[in-house]
Amino acid sequence: MTALELALPQESRRAAQIRTVGATLAAVALGLAAGSILIVIAGGRPWSTYADMAKGAFGSLFGFSAVLVQAVPLLVIGLGLALAFRGRVYNIGAEGQFYVGALAGGAAVILLPIHVYPLLIALGMIAGAAGGAAWGWLVGKLRARWGVNEVITSLLLNYIGIFLFSYAVRKPLRDPDASSLASKAVPEGTRLPNLPHLSTHIGIVVGLALVPLLAYVMDRTPFGFRVRMMGLNADAASVAGVDTGRMVVRLMVISGGLAGLAGIIQVLGVQGRLDTSLSQGYGFTAIVVALLGRLRAVGVLFAALLLGGLTIGGQAASIDQGLPYAIVLGIQGVFVVFVLVADRFARA
Amino acid sequence: MDWSAIFGVSLFAAGLRLAMPTALAAVGECFCERAGVLNLGLEGMMLAGAFASFVGADYAGSAAVGVAAGIGVGVLLGAVMAFLSVHLKTEQVINGIAIVIFAQGLTAFAYEKIYGQSGASPQITPLADVRIPGIASIPWLGPVLFEQNVLLYVSLALTFGVWLLLYRTRFGLSVRAVGEAPAAADAAAVSVDRVRWLALLVCGGMAGLGGAVLVVGQLSLFNVGITAGRGWVAIALVIFGRWNPLLVLGGALLFGFTDALQLRIQASSGGINAGVPYEFFQALPYLITLAVMVAATVWSRRNAQPSALGVPFTKGVSQ
Repeated sequence: MTALELALPQESRRAAQIRTVGATLAAVALGLAAGSILIVIAGGRPWSTYADMAKGAFGSLFGFSAVLVQAVPLLVIGLGLALAFRGRVYNIGAEGQFYVGALAGGAAVILLPIHVYPLLIALGMIAGAAGGAAWGWLVGKLRARWGVNEVITSLLLNYIGIFLFSYAVRKPLRDPDASSLASKAVPEGTRLPNLPHLSTHIGIVVGLALVPLLAYVMDRTPFGFRVRMMGLNADAASVAGVDTGRMVVRLMVISGGLAGLAGIIQVLGVQGRLDTSLSQGYGFTAIVVALLGRLRAVGVLFAALLLGGLTIGGQAASIDQGLPYAIVLGIQGVFVVFVLVADRFARA
Repeated sequence: MDWSAIFGVSLFAAGLRLAMPTALAAVGECFCERAGVLNLGLEGMMLAGAFASFVGADYAGSAAVGVAAGIGVGVLLGAVMAFLSVHLKTEQVINGIAIVIFAQGLTAFAYEKIYGQSGASPQITPLADVRIPGIASIPWLGPVLFEQNVLLYVSLALTFGVWLLLYRTRFGLSVRAVGEAPAAADAAAVSVDRVRWLALLVCGGMAGLGGAVLVVGQLSLFNVGITAGRGWVAIALVIFGRWNPLLVLGGALLFGFTDALQLRIQASSGGINAGVPYEFFQALPYLITLAVMVAATVWSRRNAQPSALGVPFTKGVSQ
């Protein structure tokens, strides 16, 4: 959103929105076109590969359930990143915040002697969000207090958070009977149940509920307005009375907290225990999701479904057509560059 | 614990070796930041350079081809960054993050395509160390400085070259002017865009070379996590080195020695590392970088203060 756009009357804003959506769709189309080059290089046929992907992801209830499961962490993390990025607070530490949240929430669920499971789930989620939020807070505080670049600190904290998680899984929380390195399982009663008719855990409901909430916060609250002001011009926002330091901390706490929440949801909904394969790079893919979703809540939802679909469809297609699975990562990488190019033309 | 074994000659030789890939990327980053472009794509450029050098060395059977491929791919990614940041003028922070995701995605794809999903890569023949006759027999200094592979000397020469270029040539003056006051540089008939394009190509090439040094000069193998955040550390080192290539090199050396030291302490049994989990040692380089970056940011603010003296201060509007 440009400064001009903020000041324009509704009609022009609508036109701008249409242009934005059009440019994003063009970026997706260009990304897929470039992806087909990768498919050819890998020795596949683009059209049938994409058809396979679509069928694998959206062609059956089973596939679609799996897409939703993939979309949950991308959606929950992506929403937080979209909010932070809008204020030009570039949190790229979601991967670490995800792991620290999973650790805090998982430890709470495993260790607390509570047998009222809904309460334990709630406590676990609070602990998870708090863990991620604390990891984000550190980054925000360093930037607000001393102006330390948040991109680098948040990235470095990824490694530190993941090593912390690995240590906890290897030592204090370890299940000595497990065949591979993993923590004790969470109590059966805290596992998130599936939705009726789908093999998707109810974490998706949390994700979907967050979409209107984040849209409301971003577009309809004074806080969201201040975030947008900061994104346009932090100095001007500051002159206008926005405490930008505090805003930076808050944005890091919120985006970190959501990443942590995604972590504990992944533990309770999918893994059932802590192990180092908890994240398939969700914290980084969520950056693509936030950018592709144009930093808007509804956009993030679509982008999360698209990239979740790409992951599941890519698995199906790579098995059917014998393509390298990493083609999904290649296509994601191409997407993100085209989105930037499209962004430029949407503004023109 | 045998401290003399830890602080032996080999520690300094290893420190120098460990420092070089990061140092090259950091000096490249320093150059393009002096031209006013923040290139956060460094990690991606190093990774792609490392991969290209591996494939080049593996297929051609020649380390030189590998190095050339690494530099070439780095320059290409530098061009993508320049296209986004200089030509389209989209936000540099986002561009950099996008370059990293782009490079990681394509590298993972190409690696799996060429070497399969097994994860284990073949070994390539490492570059032989050059023993400079005569001076290599100098005690201590010889083994540390003069029994390394040729890439080390190239790297050191490049670092000094960048310093000379920035501070001793007319072009370097233009680069710095473009970074400090682009409008003034423009008024003085310096093409801001051209300088920034060039700076990013140089930076990409140096990051690619850094990746190549890591693979061809040192590890002789490849995996998709091989750069392990070195590109990000390099960006932190530029802040630590206060945008001066020589200080940046110094920071990288310090970092390399710490890294070598922690590896040695970790490897030696008993003593101070007993009871300390190995994850702590693994996290140590990142913790140190974090601490150093915070310290450097706080410190450089204070030192930079005189330039803001006399400028009316409005809350939050300064700088």
